[in-house]
Amino acid sequence: MTRDEFLNEMVEVLQTEDDISFDTVLADLDEWDSLSVMATMAFLDKSFGVKTEMKDYKMMKTIGDIAAKAGL
Amino acid sequence: MISFYREQGFIVTGASSGIGEGVALLLNELGATVVAIARREDKLNEMKLKAKNPENIFIEVKDLTEDIEGLPLYVKTLRAKYGKFQGMAYCAGLGGIHPLRSVDMETMQKIFAINYFAPVFMAKGFADKRNNTGQRSSMVFIASGGGIHCDPGMTCYSGSKGALIATMQSIAREIAPTGVRVNCVSPSLIETSMAGEIERQYAEGKYPFGLGKVSDVANMIVYLLSEQSKWITAQNYIIDCGAM
Repeated sequence: MTRDEFLNEMVEVLQTEDDISFDTVLADLDEWDSLSVMATMAFLDKSFGVKTEMKDYKMMKTIGDIAAKAGL
Repeated sequence: MISFYREQGFIVTGASSGIGEGVALLLNELGATVVAIARREDKLNEMKLKAKNPENIFIEVKDLTEDIEGLPLYVKTLRAKYGKFQGMAYCAGLGGIHPLRSVDMETMQKIFAINYFAPVFMAKGFADKRNNTGQRSSMVFIASGGGIHCDPGMTCYSGSKGALIATMQSIAREIAPTGVRVNCVSPSLIETSMAGEIERQYAEGKYPFGLGKVSDVANMIVYLLSEQSKWITAQNYIIDCGAM
């Protein structure tokens, strides 16, 4: 998956109507709630085989941090 | 008194006959815009001929079981065409009596596809906040009395409807923070094409007020779609004339 494709997938995971980039701060997104975290966990697991836990997300500040976790 | 504006759009599946047709026509009569989905175009057109405000009924021919995982995308294309939706009534469904000895995977999959999997993925599409109007929006699914009180021969049908009732309660609680309400309506035998000879015989004398009419169920569904029911979610309403 390319970085652009990753961003498109994150738009679907978050179901956001806002434009997002790798610099988008998670805390600034209305959609960034516990259900979005769980949907992100499922996305990383399914698409990258990367297992994450809730506590991993406490350290993440931006969409870019999630991409890094996915190895992008 | 329930009334809608033209700007309030509702998806109705199974809109070509039975309860779905009744819901589509009632919503339309009360002023709403209806996107009517079913497989048979000729039947949809017949339904539209009966509408009070036919200019507010839009027909979409679609077999919901063709690509079930693609249904969220389908809802998105409908939203692009008609705007965000206020509500959805999922009325498509398949009945049938299958004694355990004649149950096979093909039959089960066919029944579960339209009675369970398709509604779940339509809910997934509708619940996407880019596709609904948020606060005050509402989904209603036709389950069945047979999803709770399970008669012999109903392995497939009762299984699919019981699963639907359980799943929709979970979805309702999950998406309540987004303002979207989710409820089921569970009718007993209603005077539609789904009521076969065996069912009618079985039902004889069971209903003190006689066999149910489409309007008996459609009124409840439209109420649950309207803002009058804004405090009601995660429920399943049994409409069985007290028979069960």
